[in-house]
Amino acid sequence: MSAEITKVGIISCSGEAIPEGTISRLATRRVLELLRPGQTVTLCLPLFLAGNEAERNFAKTHPTITIDGCEKQCAKWGTEEHSGPVSGALIVSEILGTQPSACHRSSRGASQADREAVWAVAEQIAAAVDKVLAEATPPDAAAAGTGGGQCACSSPVPGGSITVKGAKVTIAGLPLIFEQCAERSIPADAGGSAALLEAVRIYHPIRPEEEADYRSALLAGYQNFRRGTKLT
Amino acid sequence: MANEQIGNPVLVIPCSGIGKVHGLISREATYLVTDELAPGKTDTLCLALLVKGDPDAVADVRNHACITLDGCAKACAEKNVQMAGGRVAKTIQVAACFKNHRGAQPGDASALTDDGWTITREIAASATCDVARFFAGEEVNR
Repeated sequence: MSAEITKVGIISCSGEAIPEGTISRLATRRVLELLRPGQTVTLCLPLFLAGNEAERNFAKTHPTITIDGCEKQCAKWGTEEHSGPVSGALIVSEILGTQPSACHRSSRGASQADREAVWAVAEQIAAAVDKVLAEATPPDAAAAGTGGGQCACSSPVPGGSITVKGAKVTIAGLPLIFEQCAERSIPADAGGSAALLEAVRIYHPIRPEEEADYRSALLAGYQNFRRGTKLT
Repeated sequence: MANEQIGNPVLVIPCSGIGKVHGLISREATYLVTDELAPGKTDTLCLALLVKGDPDAVADVRNHACITLDGCAKACAEKNVQMAGGRVAKTIQVAACFKNHRGAQPGDASALTDDGWTITREIAASATCDVARFFAGEEVNR
């Protein structure tokens, strides 16, 4: 199967009884729509029982990652029982710990805690997708992408550009800074702009009178990064 | 419907289909019923738990009247409840409810628009009426 892999399947439990089920569903959608579009597909879990043969063969034709809300792991169990072995299995309650206690089942009550939880899980799913795709990539192709025998520590830190007051500004290590901010669950909205500014100014000088412009430029760049847009 | 089920909370079970807006409508309509319109008289359970064959979930659908809310004609919620031996008192298909809302832009599988919430509330209100009929001992048309 590996040589023909083009898309990774993601099956969410979508458990209705708990907030973690809503998080699993929304995080899966986030990966499909924003983080790894074109590389991922999904299927409704109940279709394994109610659907036809083609639907039951889903995990046989796609490397599949299951996203479960709780340790009962219904998505993993259902997928493996009715479709085939999975390539990865994530559990929302293990990723988030006690964080979902502040989350909601319905999107009507969605708060900042819900949004941050969905982002955090979505990023874990995207990382799992990358891992599955990397493992499925033929070794020759992987070696071709390393740029030869250069030692990683002598490589320049990849930079990224943002637009500050209409001017393009390149910041060394910006993708890595954004990655760290995402891991710290810094939100991609106005509430996270101060933390972004503080993280970037460690590596890049910013004068006090420039702060407001950098703040909005960094926020725009960070939002694009969280959507999966590659920094230039 | 078995008389012994009257008085027990009615289980409202959506398909929560992840591919289209219809699944999200089924899910949000369920929460409107269980959390706002008929709390105490209704509850929900994880359909995935039923798919897994969890003994408690199977017992729940056998011992409570169930209203299934399905996004599409594949009727995953209805079929899974039936396969578990549960009794479906009422089935609602979201796609069919769109007949009265031609041209509506309900949103997508991640978020509902105002049109989407309007349809969701209609479905929730319909399910709540069925719950009330059931508690009054009246016949509920499937």
